[in-house]
Amino acid sequence: MKRRQYVIGAVSFAVAFVIFVIPFIFVVINAMKSAAESARLDFRLPQKWQFWQNLTDVVQARDYMLLLAYFNSTVITVGAVTLLVIFGALVGYVLQRRPSRFSSFVYAFVLTGLMIPPAVVPTIWVLQEINLFKTLHGMILIQVAYGLGFTVLLYRAFIASIPRDLDEAAIVDGARPLQVFFRVILPLLEPVTVTVIVVQSIAIFNDFTHPLYYLPGRENVTVQLTLYNFQSQFVSQMNLLFMNILLVTIPPLIVFIFFNRQIVAGMTSGAVKG
Amino acid sequence: MSRVELKQLRKSYGAVEVMKGIDLVVEPGEFCVFVGPSGCGKSTLLRMIAGLEEQTSGQIEIAGRDVSFDEPSKRGIAMVFQSYALYPHLSVRDNIGFGLSLARRPKAEIRQKVDAVGEILQLGPFMDRKPKALSGGQRQRVAIGRAIVRDPQVFLFDEPLSNLDAALRSQMRLELTELHARLGATMIYVTHDQVEAMTMADKIVVMNAGRIEQVGTPMELYQRPATPFVAGFIGSPRMNLFDGDVARRMGCDVYGIRPEHLLISESDGRWTGQVRHVERLGADTILHLDVPELGALVARTDGNCSFHPGQVVQASPQPDMEFFYAAPG
Ligand SMILES: Nc1ncnc2c1ncn2[C@@H]1O[C@H](COP(=O)(O)OP(=O)(O)OP(=O)(O)O)[C@@H](O)[C@H]1O
Ligand SMILES: [Mg+2]
Repeated sequence: MKRRQYVIGAVSFAVAFVIFVIPFIFVVINAMKSAAESARLDFRLPQKWQFWQNLTDVVQARDYMLLLAYFNSTVITVGAVTLLVIFGALVGYVLQRRPSRFSSFVYAFVLTGLMIPPAVVPTIWVLQEINLFKTLHGMILIQVAYGLGFTVLLYRAFIASIPRDLDEAAIVDGARPLQVFFRVILPLLEPVTVTVIVVQSIAIFNDFTHPLYYLPGRENVTVQLTLYNFQSQFVSQMNLLFMNILLVTIPPLIVFIFFNRQIVAGMTSGAVKG
Repeated sequence: MSRVELKQLRKSYGAVEVMKGIDLVVEPGEFCVFVGPSGCGKSTLLRMIAGLEEQTSGQIEIAGRDVSFDEPSKRGIAMVFQSYALYPHLSVRDNIGFGLSLARRPKAEIRQKVDAVGEILQLGPFMDRKPKALSGGQRQRVAIGRAIVRDPQVFLFDEPLSNLDAALRSQMRLELTELHARLGATMIYVTHDQVEAMTMADKIVVMNAGRIEQVGTPMELYQRPATPFVAGFIGSPRMNLFDGDVARRMGCDVYGIRPEHLLISESDGRWTGQVRHVERLGADTILHLDVPELGALVARTDGNCSFHPGQVVQASPQPDMEFFYAAPG
């Protein structure tokens, strides 16, 4: 038994190493090389380590575009995640606590949002009609729309595990509906909220395609789109591309390393009582 | 201290009527217990009084005021839930003071009131703990404290002791009775445990299938149960009830005799039967008899009687302790 566990552990570790760690090492090594060396795209260690040189080059490229991109991405991520938490928790709460024909309709709608893939072109039409195309707040709303189904589902399942007596006790104590939610329920949602914040902020920060479709324009660039700087314009500068990858990978990685325990807790805690 | 009056209270869930016209008066300062089998509607009735469930029709008056459509918090009630329903993220102090802080009372006042309640319930050492770090009995006390601090006109309890073990339950029974004496408030208490009902109540309301079967003091219900249902429900071991041919031979539809009102002897008696099983409880002994004339019969006798299984004995009812009911309930 012990031996089998050991083997399984070793195999999983090896697979994880090949899938996650080797590419990362590749990125790190090549981010330190000179342009000529990195063009060969191999695993050899750099002959000349030029970390600072590459770093400043990437940051300064195209008039400090990376910094603008960090700013934009942060605004979008913070804005969207905030709205997701508030609406996800509120909608999940109402759906779970007040079953009615209307709430089953809304719930079906939420599930539909998860199942049907979004159509890009009509969405752009809509955005253009309401003057939200090419704006950061338009992008925030898009991200909220994409993330809300999953968020509502998570919150709903978790709220089902909170006894209804608590709501009723608060009502008897004189709490109005919003007070019941904000003073009793919301504090108890902390585990899922951490999960939602981490999972969604990583997803939104790392999002490449949606900003590409919905947020064109030089001043609207997001971090993932800065990768184009070194792919299209300076094709030969693979070292800078990898340095850029490294820079945009690090924030989500830090978030994940700090919170991964809570994420797992939040994912499973609501699941037991469904 | 307030009077609670229910008038023709009804409740339906869809087409199912679970509360079929309840009329009841609970006098000021009374300890009133609702008992009945599971599913008879005790909780539903209590929750309607609390305002957590809306009545389909009928009226609820508390302290002479019609509160039928008032918010729970405006009815002057406080409720203690079976699951305690303590707010897990708040300390004992904040749990008790939650209602006051919602009402935006000054901090000093909240603190003083909460401390006073902690004093009454001996919660002093636990005031800054979270509910998770308390035992069942302590949690129960916090839940009661949360009710007391609201200074309600009526306390509502929904099976508050059913999650506690037997020893703690009897201790809490005593504490609740003392609390009632001390506060003098009107209390309505739901339980399906007839021992709780008998020991704590000033007035017992026996419910069955959404109706009130009988209202009375514990001894009234024991001595003069109005229906076979009440007769069978109050008293332990339960009354021997016979219907059909057996009852008809005695000139009624249902015949009842309590185990403790049977005289068992070896020589003479009204019925002859064989001892099937003997339960010795120490102070007294429960005999299970097979009486050909009646069927199974349970009797209660002295603790140190010498009956043994297989023995043939005679049983007779004590005079004036028999119950004859007309239409079966
Ligand atoms: N939301 C509901 N929808 C439909 N029927 C309900 C609902 N709530 C309660 N009932 C029914 O109402 C009846 C009374 O329920 P209630 O909870 O008041 O019983 P109870 O006397 O408190 O029982 P217990 O001792 O088991 O707590 C039951 O038959 C139950 O099935
Ligand atoms: Mg109940």
